[in-house]
Amino acid sequence: MTTNKLDSKIPSGDIDSKWTNHKFNMKLVNPANKRKHTVIVVGTGLAGASAAAAMGEMGYKVKSFCVHESPRRAHSVAAQGGINAAKNYQNDGDSVQRLFYDTVKGGDFRAREANVHRLAEVSVNIIDQAVAQGVPLAREYGGLLSNRSFGGSQVSRTFYARGQTGQQLLLGAYSGMMRQADAGTVDLYTRREMLDLVVIDGKARGIIVRNLLTGELESHVADAVILASGGYSNVFYLSTNAMACAVTATWRAHKKGAFFANPCYTQIHPTCIPVHGDNQSKLTLMSESLRNDGRLWVSSKKGDKRPSAEIPDSERDYFLERIYPSFGNLAPRDVASRQAKFRVDEGFGANGGETAVFLDFRDSIQRLGEDKIAERYGNLFQMYDKITGENPYKQPMRIFPAPHYTMGGLWVDYNLESTIPGLFVAGEANFSDHGANRLGASALMQGLADGYFVLPYTIGNYFAGTKLEKIETTHDAFKSATNDVKTDIDKMMNTKGSRTVESMHKELGRIMWDKCGMSRTKEGLTEAISKIQKLREEFQNNITIPGDANSVNTELEKAGRIADFIELGELMCRDALVREESCGGHFREEHQDNGEAKRDDEKFCHVAAWEWNGNAKTAQTRHTEDLKFDNVKLATRSYK
Amino acid sequence: MLDFLKSTVGRKYIMGITGLVWLGFVLTHMAGNMLILVSGDLYNAYGHAIVSNKPLLYVAESVLILSLCAHIFTAITLTIQNRKSRQSRYAITPNGSKGSSLASRTMAIQGSIVLAFIILHLITFKYGAEYTTNVNGVEMRDLHKLVLEVFKQPVYVAWYFVSLILLMFHLSHGAHSIFQSFGILERKMQKSLKKFAWIYAVIVVGGFLSQPLYVFLIHN
Amino acid sequence: MENKKNLNLTLKIWRQKNNQSKGEFKTYDAPNVSPDASFLEMVDVINESLVVKGEETIAFDHDCREGICGSCGFMIDGNAHGPQKGTTVCQLHMRNFSDGQTVTLEPWRAEAFPIIKDLMVDRSAFDRIIKAGGYISANTGGAPDANAVPIPKYDADEAFLSAACIGCGACVASCKNASAALFTSAKITHLALLPQGAVEKDQRALDMVAQMDSEQFGACTSTGTCSASCPKEISLINIAKMNREYLRASWTKKEAVHGGDMA
Repeated sequence: MTTNKLDSKIPSGDIDSKWTNHKFNMKLVNPANKRKHTVIVVGTGLAGASAAAAMGEMGYKVKSFCVHESPRRAHSVAAQGGINAAKNYQNDGDSVQRLFYDTVKGGDFRAREANVHRLAEVSVNIIDQAVAQGVPLAREYGGLLSNRSFGGSQVSRTFYARGQTGQQLLLGAYSGMMRQADAGTVDLYTRREMLDLVVIDGKARGIIVRNLLTGELESHVADAVILASGGYSNVFYLSTNAMACAVTATWRAHKKGAFFANPCYTQIHPTCIPVHGDNQSKLTLMSESLRNDGRLWVSSKKGDKRPSAEIPDSERDYFLERIYPSFGNLAPRDVASRQAKFRVDEGFGANGGETAVFLDFRDSIQRLGEDKIAERYGNLFQMYDKITGENPYKQPMRIFPAPHYTMGGLWVDYNLESTIPGLFVAGEANFSDHGANRLGASALMQGLADGYFVLPYTIGNYFAGTKLEKIETTHDAFKSATNDVKTDIDKMMNTKGSRTVESMHKELGRIMWDKCGMSRTKEGLTEAISKIQKLREEFQNNITIPGDANSVNTELEKAGRIADFIELGELMCRDALVREESCGGHFREEHQDNGEAKRDDEKFCHVAAWEWNGNAKTAQTRHTEDLKFDNVKLATRSYK
Repeated sequence: MLDFLKSTVGRKYIMGITGLVWLGFVLTHMAGNMLILVSGDLYNAYGHAIVSNKPLLYVAESVLILSLCAHIFTAITLTIQNRKSRQSRYAITPNGSKGSSLASRTMAIQGSIVLAFIILHLITFKYGAEYTTNVNGVEMRDLHKLVLEVFKQPVYVAWYFVSLILLMFHLSHGAHSIFQSFGILERKMQKSLKKFAWIYAVIVVGGFLSQPLYVFLIHN
Repeated sequence: MENKKNLNLTLKIWRQKNNQSKGEFKTYDAPNVSPDASFLEMVDVINESLVVKGEETIAFDHDCREGICGSCGFMIDGNAHGPQKGTTVCQLHMRNFSDGQTVTLEPWRAEAFPIIKDLMVDRSAFDRIIKAGGYISANTGGAPDANAVPIPKYDADEAFLSAACIGCGACVASCKNASAALFTSAKITHLALLPQGAVEKDQRALDMVAQMDSEQFGACTSTGTCSASCPKEISLINIAKMNREYLRASWTKKEAVHGGDMA
């Protein structure tokens, strides 16, 4: 069913004046009134920490929640390569316009133009802000900032701090937030997991969290709630996400009325260390920046078992350079991943057909010397060596695509407000800026843009224009939400079946990876849906969780998250099934042009946002928001 | 300033400054005493010269005693705090590249034994038997005779050796640590610094030990 | 390719129900461990077998499993994060162990890091040290252009090395005094080296050292185990820098001025 309930609230006017005008037109809250408003921020990654810091600075009362023991451990910390900004410091023709264009094209024309343009505009402020906070971004000998290239772009606009850009930016945002904690505007609630959203009079007014140390269910009231809880790649079990990354916060909000948009848009990152065995718990990314100097190849002979060093150049297929001569190894992620998968499927995998292709630095080491390569990627090479026991200076890396990022998420309008008034969503948790594929070094940019430069304005506008009654945690809505959560937990604890939640997560991951991973078919998706439904039944009747719910119980934490992943997995498959086209990370085998994604702009140039219908057994309703491209011409995306 | 002196960082400065005084003292003490290897008269004359200048002697003695007291007092407060900070021990002590040197881990024990040594040392020599002698017509204390007497006793020499070896560890870690405590450690110094501290400690203690060894082996 | 033979290990693991209860070592078998598995994946397998038996799993903090979030960390045979230098537990792989070995796992032990459960400890003291001054007071918006103030590459690189600290607590855990000098000094140094951070460096040094001292950490006695155990190999020169900063800040401390001549 396709209805139209979605108002994107895109301001009128030219694309490059929309944000400026909107900022002027939005209502303000006077300084004395700001401290009367409480904002809850769930998550302390780049988006959450920056939002908490910026809103604390403005004088709002901020309550910040994270599942970790310290806000600094959020998974943004693991981003390696860099952050884009249209600074044009390299004088190579970059501009806000070009970053906007690259991002819309990179997203395969499935993102909202106005949002992407705003992102490109504020990108320059992010770098300024980070440097002012003391983020030690890489510099040249002259003392000015250094840049490198990332996939899907022909300019060098990526700022970085060795292979630890995410860590440094996160520590910057974290320090900003801790400064506000010191100033008394931000209260930190660590080791708390959000388990429900409380909606009163149609507005988001608080959350229920479980204290992960004591098991206590706590109620927290606010005038607005920001979810910055990250993405859902862990639905695949094996991904580059951290172990605690979950969809729970956004999913529970979805069940309270927030529409979930484009769940089938997932990013499979091309360069990850391949799976080593059955007990593997997660996958490790090798930064996209490596493709600046590394070349992807496979042997041109099927099942070639010769050691890589013995395969002469004439018998190597540098497949990205062959297929995409103008972008070469810096083709965007979706494209590069798909090609690597094709090679492996065809039997050209590394070392006689492993599920891996080579990423080779031989030529750049010859050209630049080992020292230069070590300076650029030393920590990544070391990490690869530690994990695999192989020395990438001497032999090529073996890499294979792995789930890394999810473009889908809660639907938000231009103000980053979801379909529940007062519920705002930032960073990877929302769906807004990357369309069907995210370009490298854009996630850090979006998280910080949302937190530092968008939400502080749009939430003020919400407060100024909304009448908010005073609410206490004794309100019935809090009581009943707490009861629901408690009932759920008790049910899981008392199932006392025979299967571990971990094994169910693995099974779900296998289904999702096989049927809803890098390539999808109608049959596969249909089969996956029925398998997931069976898995959900089994989860309800057959899980086992040791211990109790009144103390640290990591199995119980996992169980809650996996229950949500199972429901989400089904929705992802449904979304992928309905979207009868290929775009970005969503590749339907039925819709291709010789391995290239074939969009259907007639039928699918829209966002699909799903509405929960009361329970997991009733299918969600699909709503659409049409996408208009007035500034970037809708065209077949080509990197050839 | 009181805050500074109470802080862990400030107290490390106190340890460093008072330690530095003694690092300088033991070096000159050792160098002067080496005269015993030259001749008994020269040795006695050197001792006499030192005790003759009363004002200087009292100033030097007060600085040394004050430094020692401050060093000990601060060490005790730090040790108490440090023990409180880590009340339970690990089942296994690391021995690989992540371990620490024995010298750095046992400063408090070394220090206590060295203190006992200093007290005994003063009793034996400074307040020991008052023999007199005449060098170039000047009446003076015959320390040389006392030293020969003492260093002919194997038990005393053994105790002397043990204490001074401990002192060597204490000095080596102290001389090294002082750079960090004073904040003058730089990346380029790190490698040579350990060597420097050990060379210093070995010279001082080696010098001291050569004296009883000389007496014990040659004069016996 | 190296030896791919699977390993059989015996693990002695510290089990402690909560902060109030007394803990003890319990022995577990880890049969048939792949040398390609990470240390935590080996513990995962033991935990899975415990769940099947209906027993409580061994609790330990962990998250990114890429050596960057700083969540994981415990003592392996008395070594913080295990025997390999410059490595977190999650990045430690089983090929570093030999068949038949007995391995002892203990939580970080420090009064400032109370044990929560098993191998899990509370490191919130670190957050409080950062909160006391580990930041540059730069409000959002209004920052000058990022290239407005050039920073010598040497300083930027040195600041980065200090900023690479992941806050795992290995320095405190390995120190016989449970001193937090390396952690605190790394942040003081990172920010003091940059012109943006220099304005507040005196107050920052005073506040952060005061907070460090008010938690139950011990004093630095320069044993160097902190740096040797640090998965990011943060250098001792940071502690020297902190001491210098603190001395100068104490010496030149200014009284706040209120009002003015015209008041």
